[in-house]
Amino acid sequence: MKQLLVFVLFAPLFCWLAFSPVYKHVLLIRQALLQQEADYLLEIGASGAYGYIDRVMVAESRLRLARYGFRPELLEYDVGSTNGMPADQPSEPLPRGVGLRLEIRYPYERLLDIDRLIGLDVPGPEGRIAASGMKMSEYVP
Amino acid sequence: MHKLLFGVLMAVVWWMLHALQWEEERAMGLLYEVKRAVNRAAHAAAQQADRDKLEIGIPSIDPGLARAAAHLYLQANLRLDRDFRPLPGSPLRQPPAVLVFEVINEEHEFPYTYYNPEYNYRVTLKRPGVVMVVRAEYPRVFNVMDPVVWHIKGAAEQVHV
Repeated sequence: MKQLLVFVLFAPLFCWLAFSPVYKHVLLIRQALLQQEADYLLEIGASGAYGYIDRVMVAESRLRLARYGFRPELLEYDVGSTNGMPADQPSEPLPRGVGLRLEIRYPYERLLDIDRLIGLDVPGPEGRIAASGMKMSEYVP
Repeated sequence: MHKLLFGVLMAVVWWMLHALQWEEERAMGLLYEVKRAVNRAAHAAAQQADRDKLEIGIPSIDPGLARAAAHLYLQANLRLDRDFRPLPGSPLRQPPAVLVFEVINEEHEFPYTYYNPEYNYRVTLKRPGVVMVVRAEYPRVFNVMDPVVWHIKGAAEQVHV
């Protein structure tokens, strides 16, 4: 009887101890995958052959991330440049010296909700994990 | 009673192991993030061609512009302010420091092998380039592992001139 009582009292804690590391791990891996994708897009986009990240490249990137279990429609891409030029136009690539900025965001998808069991605040539905970077364009007309 | 104590103890040990693993994974992630920031900073610095020398056919890097570009890209990629203090959203808690910033210009014969015995860094450049070493510290969440300090090295060459 006493043991049962102890178990019931500590059940949320046991659940959290047993399962929360898995969720944390998924979060870490997702963050790493987003960062890897951001790096790849920047590496290609800022290279001398392109100088931009256009919609075709973003669409391909969504497909690549979808293979890892991301929902493509929830991925948000933010492409910009340091001097205000549009950075997603193949017709006007960023010249050398201008920085290409990219941020990819994705919702937490309630991965941290399990922390409620021990009374932690969790990010709301507008919370996002993000990966970003800025690289100088190498494009020379 | 002793069973309960054992259970609590096991839970603590279990969670400490997970905290350690989580922390180590985050540290590896941060190491690569800073490495990429250093690479991009060196890359931006190496593109700062000295136009006056370029006109007479000497590919060369303007050291002043190069340093400014390197700082700008390091700050943008790691989300730091102008004095390298971390802004909200930065992965770092302590300001990183640029320990080495060297511009390898036309006074050397290429291919040139740069060697820095202090940080044990060796790199061969085929064109004028930039070498950087940045010190960064990992912000620990749990104190289950020792402090982690990295000296992160990066180098870049002029892409083409």
